[in-house]
Amino acid sequence: MSIEALFTYTFLFISLYFEVFLLVSFLERRSRQRILQTVEIAMLPTVAIAVPCFNERQGVAETLRSLLALEYPADKLQIIAVDDGSTDDTLAVLQSFANDSRIRIFSKENGGKHSAMNLALANTDAEFIGCLDADSVVASDALLCMMPVFQNQRIAAVTPGIHVKAPQNLLQHLQHVEYRLSIFNRFIYAALGSVFITPGPFSIFRTATVRELGSWRYAHSTEDMEMALRIQEAGHWIANAPKAIVHTLTPATFPHLFRQRVRWTYGWLRNAVDYRHMLGNSTYGNLSLVVLPAAIISIFAGIYFFFRIVYYGIEAIYHKFVYLQYGGPIATPSFELYYVNTSAMWFLIFASVALIVVLISVGSHIGTGRRMPPLTTPLFLLMYSFLVPLWLSAAVVRAVFKTGVQWR
Amino acid sequence: MGPEDPIVDTRSARWRTYAIAFLITAFIFATALYASNYFNDRRIADIEATQDNISIDILSLETQFDLLAEHSCQDISENSVLSREIQPLAQRLSYLESQSGVDEDELARLKRYYSLLQIKDLLLMQKVTDKCRLKPVFILYFYSNRGDCDDCEEQGYALTGLAQKYPQLRIYSFDYNLGLSALQTLVDINDVRNELPALVIKNKAYYGLQRIEDIEKILPELATLETATSTTTATSTRR
Repeated sequence: MSIEALFTYTFLFISLYFEVFLLVSFLERRSRQRILQTVEIAMLPTVAIAVPCFNERQGVAETLRSLLALEYPADKLQIIAVDDGSTDDTLAVLQSFANDSRIRIFSKENGGKHSAMNLALANTDAEFIGCLDADSVVASDALLCMMPVFQNQRIAAVTPGIHVKAPQNLLQHLQHVEYRLSIFNRFIYAALGSVFITPGPFSIFRTATVRELGSWRYAHSTEDMEMALRIQEAGHWIANAPKAIVHTLTPATFPHLFRQRVRWTYGWLRNAVDYRHMLGNSTYGNLSLVVLPAAIISIFAGIYFFFRIVYYGIEAIYHKFVYLQYGGPIATPSFELYYVNTSAMWFLIFASVALIVVLISVGSHIGTGRRMPPLTTPLFLLMYSFLVPLWLSAAVVRAVFKTGVQWR
Repeated sequence: MGPEDPIVDTRSARWRTYAIAFLITAFIFATALYASNYFNDRRIADIEATQDNISIDILSLETQFDLLAEHSCQDISENSVLSREIQPLAQRLSYLESQSGVDEDELARLKRYYSLLQIKDLLLMQKVTDKCRLKPVFILYFYSNRGDCDDCEEQGYALTGLAQKYPQLRIYSFDYNLGLSALQTLVDINDVRNELPALVIKNKAYYGLQRIEDIEKILPELATLETATSTTTATSTRR
């Protein structure tokens, strides 16, 4: 077997294994589903939601309005809007909400999202603290879906179900499918005790735990991954409440999406290096034995398959070109069974893609109650295979040279 | 009813799930490999059937030649066309060769058989041209698949282009390293060195890439052939 075949089949085996593992875990979980006790309204804890803003005048009003519409006792909800040195009139927009007793407004020099979160942390006595990015809106029952989860004292954080807000163009529709897959992943990772991201849109934390672990850190521009890894490292659990629905605005143009994903992947790689002692360490269970290694390998597998396709694609075009130069007959398109590619590799790729569709369908079911994956799923599978490796490669290069990334 | 419990278990390693997932993945892998093998075997069977047909065709032509020995050359040359199945066969063999997971020994056996059929056809055609005093317009093409012949692929394209231009031209292509004694004899008779690609035209060996114009210069008889595209050709584009 050639080195290339060895790489190809190893990567295929690992990706397929990971998909099967997630699906089996999901099916096992379904068989022992339990129902949580509801919490008496009077017993609900106090919650502070921080809204860090940097030049968010466009969306922050809607974000705040959705928070004010939360079905949660007013005396137990604090909304802490932090203007992180915006250069537009974000602060003025925030101040227009100043007359609501639940909202407090802070303004500071620009210091990054983690510094805005820390300012909120320093200025609250709430038992729980959450974050809502100013490009996101929450469903009114989201908090009520999440808070009962904290009855389990080992749970230090809960993540919601994140959906794409009003997808308009093709790129946003592709992300819409991707987010369905993420809903599944977040859900099953929680069931496996392996959540390694507590995303900016509406993750809620036990304030005491955050204080005990130290405040939010810059963490290579991905404070939401670092905090999750730190929580895991300390032995706490992170749960997921997919019925707590958050809609988030996603990039509408490729350059924006590219920049966002390079930042995520770059941060993820750098944080993985910082927390490398967790990798393969059975103390951290599924997270370090399966989920983290698979997440890292998938980055390199994605890049490998992309360049493999590009290499063979260019080679095939070159040969066709030379062939035509010699006046070779142009093959008339005909379907002959003999020439249908039946290599094991194609069967395995097909199996892998089919499993992804199943996972998207399960994600849709968890997120919306309907099993039908979005109609753009085939396009997602086709186009993301080519888009993802672009930012993966860029992020790997930056991570190797430690160049840093920009938020915007 | 309250919300679903979002946690089922602690995060401790679930070895049983790891094992189940491994077994399922291994099963999918085994199925993919089995299916791939199955289809390759079908291809081999397909080629074998074609080769048997060609073998019968050639035997039939030889017999016909013997029977018609006293008859007019017109009858013979019209009948002695290389089996129409040989070109698709060359393409199919070439495709099979490009597939991974094909039994190397089986493939080599099929190629030896194919080469033998070509040599038989060559001999028959030589007999016909001798008897009927025709000008032989054959090209023997020797290539290598071992990665030591950079120009072989391009030479294959050039010969395909040439065959396209002159449908009556007969091109026989041989893998130099096939290890077939009859082929070795053909190599020895024509004194072909291991410098590939090599063409044998009118008993003289030419080495290195020969483009269509080069071959036309070497073989001016090509001009006497029809340049239509209706008759059968026997060309392999294989490297």
